[in-house]
Amino acid sequence: MTDSKGRLPAISRRDLLRTAGAAGAAALVPDAVTAATEETPSTAAAGERQLGTALPSETGPLLTRALANLTARETEILSAMVDRLIPSDELGPGALDAGVLRFIDRVLSESGTNAADAYRSGLAALDTYSRYTRGGPFIDLSTVDQDSVLIDVQIGAATGAGVGFVGGSGSFFNMVKSHTWQGMFGDPEYGGNVNFVGWDLLDYPGVRLGVSPEDQRALEADQLEPVRRSAYDYGIFE
Amino acid sequence: MGAALLLTGAAVTGLRGQAPTTFVVESPTMTTGRFMPRDYSPDGRNLSPPLTWSGLPAGTRQVAVISQDFGAGRPPPWVHWIIYNIPGDAGGLPEGIPFDPDHPMPAEIAGAVQGNNGWGLPAYRGPAPPLGSVHNYHFAVFALDEALDLPPGLDRGELLLAIEGHVIGQGDMVPLYERQPMNQFPR
Repeated sequence: MTDSKGRLPAISRRDLLRTAGAAGAAALVPDAVTAATEETPSTAAAGERQLGTALPSETGPLLTRALANLTARETEILSAMVDRLIPSDELGPGALDAGVLRFIDRVLSESGTNAADAYRSGLAALDTYSRYTRGGPFIDLSTVDQDSVLIDVQIGAATGAGVGFVGGSGSFFNMVKSHTWQGMFGDPEYGGNVNFVGWDLLDYPGVRLGVSPEDQRALEADQLEPVRRSAYDYGIFE
Repeated sequence: MGAALLLTGAAVTGLRGQAPTTFVVESPTMTTGRFMPRDYSPDGRNLSPPLTWSGLPAGTRQVAVISQDFGAGRPPPWVHWIIYNIPGDAGGLPEGIPFDPDHPMPAEIAGAVQGNNGWGLPAYRGPAPPLGSVHNYHFAVFALDEALDLPPGLDRGELLLAIEGHVIGQGDMVPLYERQPMNQFPR
């Protein structure tokens, strides 16, 4: 079932985030990031958070807070973008469910201002490009138009529109895509792949220190129970 | 307008080695030699443009279309769009063919599939020439004597090879485009 814009039900997660942004995301974010506003993303707050610090693993709350390194508006746009890169569908949870936004936030916290600036300028250009070419902000476009915009950004065709992509729209797309893939399919230790949904999507059997003949036979019979542990749960990788 | 021009540059051999007959290709929104609307480019919605054709040879079973820019590509042409397996009685293409292969084709061209353009995408992507330059965009339409049931995703060379010997008619239209960046053409 779709709405009047042809959106799939999964879009309701984006609607939730949009509502949060319109109402003032600060009301819905945890204390650690309450300083994040439209004007001043709270990089200081991000710096106080330690890698590995437990954050809620429930997928819902992850979608209703502004990122520490981006404004609420930028977070909305990024959320809509990664939701189109790996949407939740009949195959399973998507990038938002996997905590990709939190993963990207951590990347930005660790990468310094250049990475955050690349995101900010790219997201602003994406939104400007959407308004210029499709008549509305990116988050308000139908999924078909969002995908069309992202294709143009990906292939570099958006660069010449003069909307502010720095170094080519394809560079911005590839940066976000790479981080989305890493957050979706990387080790959960890094903040994404919440509840191992990315590994489940790939049927990845998990990190193992050894594979017995029985394991191998079970794998070949598609009956191997996946190990759902981070590599960092094994002392050998500490 | 809509004069049949053999401008494809494609070395397509007609049935039994004969030169294909020409037919008329037109569009309700584009004209040969004039600028196409920006909605057919990444400066707009980047929809595939509507095309119509008439006067196809008797015995046309299927139609194929290639949109290409002979002023770009290494080597030229740069391919913007390939669509084929179009029913011979279709009469044209509606605007906005789905770029998602999971979305069904419009009923009037049921069975049509898209080939890979210069970006490797099985979809229409419109003109994006360098700023300050006017490019010609050749929409080449081929009438085929057989329903070939070709697989999706063929590139230009593969399609031309597949239809070689089956082309009994050909028509073209050649609109222009020049990019209008946002600061010069605000919406």
